[in-house]
Amino acid sequence: MSASVMTSGSVPGPAKDVAGSVSLGRRRHRTNTIVKALCVGATALGLVFLASILYTLLLRGFLGLSLTVFTTSTLPPGSHGGLLNAIVGSLIQTTIGTAVGTPIGLMVGTYLSEYAQGSKLGDAVRFVSDVLLSAPSILIGLFVYAIAVAPFGGFTGIAGCIALAVIVIPIVVRTTEDMLRLIPVALREAAVALGAPKWKMIVLVCYPAAKQGIVTGVLLAVARVAGETAPLLFTSLGNLNWSTSLAKPMASLPVTIYQYAGSAFEDWVQLAWVGALLITFGVLAINIVARYVLRDGK
Amino acid sequence: MNTTASDSMTSPATHGGVQVRSSSEIGEPRIEIRGLDFYYGAHKALKQINLKFPDKQVTGMIGPSGCGKSTLLRILNRMYDLYPGQRAEGQVLMDGQNIIDPKVDLNSLRARIGMVFQKPTPFPMSIYDNIAFGVKLHEKLSKAAMDERVEWSLTRAALWGEVKDRLNSSAMGMSGGQQQRLCIARTIAVRPEVILLDEPTSALDPISTLKVEELIDELKHDFTIAIVTHNMQQAARCADQVAFFYLGEMVEVGPAEQIFTAPKEKRTEEYVTGRFG
Repeated sequence: MSASVMTSGSVPGPAKDVAGSVSLGRRRHRTNTIVKALCVGATALGLVFLASILYTLLLRGFLGLSLTVFTTSTLPPGSHGGLLNAIVGSLIQTTIGTAVGTPIGLMVGTYLSEYAQGSKLGDAVRFVSDVLLSAPSILIGLFVYAIAVAPFGGFTGIAGCIALAVIVIPIVVRTTEDMLRLIPVALREAAVALGAPKWKMIVLVCYPAAKQGIVTGVLLAVARVAGETAPLLFTSLGNLNWSTSLAKPMASLPVTIYQYAGSAFEDWVQLAWVGALLITFGVLAINIVARYVLRDGK
Repeated sequence: MNTTASDSMTSPATHGGVQVRSSSEIGEPRIEIRGLDFYYGAHKALKQINLKFPDKQVTGMIGPSGCGKSTLLRILNRMYDLYPGQRAEGQVLMDGQNIIDPKVDLNSLRARIGMVFQKPTPFPMSIYDNIAFGVKLHEKLSKAAMDERVEWSLTRAALWGEVKDRLNSSAMGMSGGQQQRLCIARTIAVRPEVILLDEPTSALDPISTLKVEELIDELKHDFTIAIVTHNMQQAARCADQVAFFYLGEMVEVGPAEQIFTAPKEKRTEEYVTGRFG
C-alpha cells in the first residue's frame, strides 16, 4: 500500500518554478537569521539581568556572612544580631505548610485525574485550583488573615503555616494530576486485569509510576513558599525575638528581609542581604534536588 | 502495529510454505459465547458472535484491524467495564454462569481469566513484587509460600533462569521480551483458568516472539488460551482452533489446519492467502 503512494504519478499543483524557489530559499535564510538574532539578543538581555542580580547578591551577601548570623537572633540595630529566629521560623512554617498542603493537594489531584474525568464538578475544581495557582499571594495572606488571624485576635505562626499550605495545594494538585495522566492506559489496565480494585491500582501502581514527577512538584512548591513574603505579613507577621511557639507571631526570612532592607540601619540592611543569599541558595538547592530526582526517574 | 499488519498482508503463500499445527481434536468448551453483541456507544462493533473456547487448547483470533477480535477478548475479562458507554449483550457462559451479567464480581472473574497485553506492562517495582502484586490481591500467602509461587510462575514463563539472581531489581530494566514473559508469569501466578493474549508478540523481536510462542505451547497443558494476532503464521503455529473475524462478524471458525488449508468461506480464504486485509 505504501509502495503505491510512493510511485503514484505526478504531484498535483503547478509545475515547479526553479528560479522562484531559489529566491524563496534566500528569503527564508534571511528571515531565519533575523529571528535567530532576536532570540539570542533576548536571551543575552535576560542573562545580563540575572547575572547582575546574582553578582550583587553574592557580593553584598557574603560580605555580611558570619557564624553569628546562624547563632544569634535578630537584635536591635548596632548590637551584632543574627538571623537565627528568622531561619528557624522559615523552616518551621515551610515544613508545616508543605506537610499540610501536600496530602490535600495529592488527594485532590488524584480525584481530578482518576475519579472526575469528564465530570462537571471535576472541571470546576480544576478551574478553581488553577485560579488559586496564579492568584497573587497577598490575596491568600488577606484570606488567611480574615479566617485565622482576625477572629482569634492576633498574628500567629500557625496562621503563617495555613497561608503557605494554601499556596502549596494548587501546585501539588496540578503536578499530581498531570503526572497521573501521563501513566499509560495499558499499565492501568494491566493492574485491573489482575483483579485489582481501582484504589489499589492507584495506590500501588499509579503512585509509584508517577512518584518522581509528584516529588518534583512538591519540591518546587517548597521552593516557592520558602520565598513567600506577602502571605506571611498578614499571618505570622514576623517576630524580632526568639520564638518557636506557633501560637505567637513568628519570624521568617522573607519578612525579616522585607523589614530590614527598608530600615535606616546599615547592619540591618547588611543582614537583609545575607538573608536574601540564604533563601536564594536554599531554593537553588531544592531546585537541584528536584532536577536530580526527575532525571533519576527518566 | 503497522508492521505486523503488513507482514500478514505480504505473505502470499500461507498454505504451501507455512507449517500448520496438525489437526487436533477440538475439545469440550471452557467458555461459550452465544449471540453476543457489543457496542461502543451507538456503534455496534460485534454482531451475533457464537464461539466456543475449547478447554486447555489455544484459540487464535485473526482478522484485519478493526474487525472486533481485540474487542471480543476484552469482553471475556470485562475490561470494557472500565469505560462508560461500552456495553455487551448476549451470553458468555463459563461454568453455566453468564460472565457479562452486571452482578458478577469483576475482581474474582479477573482472577480466573487473566490477560496479557500487546506491549509489555511491567509495574514500576521489583521483579518479585511484580509477580507478588497479583497474588496478594487474591490470596494471603506466607513469605515461603510466596517465594515458591514466584519461582513457580517464573519457571513456567521460562524466565526463572534469567532473573533468579536479580529478583529484587526493578522490572523496568529488563529487555522487552523478558518484560513480556514477566507479564505472562504475573498472569499465571494468580493461577487463572483462562489466559487472554492480545497480540502478545507484536512489540517483540523474532527471538523473543519465538520464546513466547513456545511458552504458549507449554502453557496450554494447564490453561485455556485465547490469542489475538495479526500474524497469520503465528496463529498457524500456536492455535488449535482459529476464528476469522471481519467487520464485527465472525466469518468462520474451525481447526487451524482447516482454516489455513481448506477454508469454507471465500472471505477467509482471501484473507489467509493475503489477497485482502
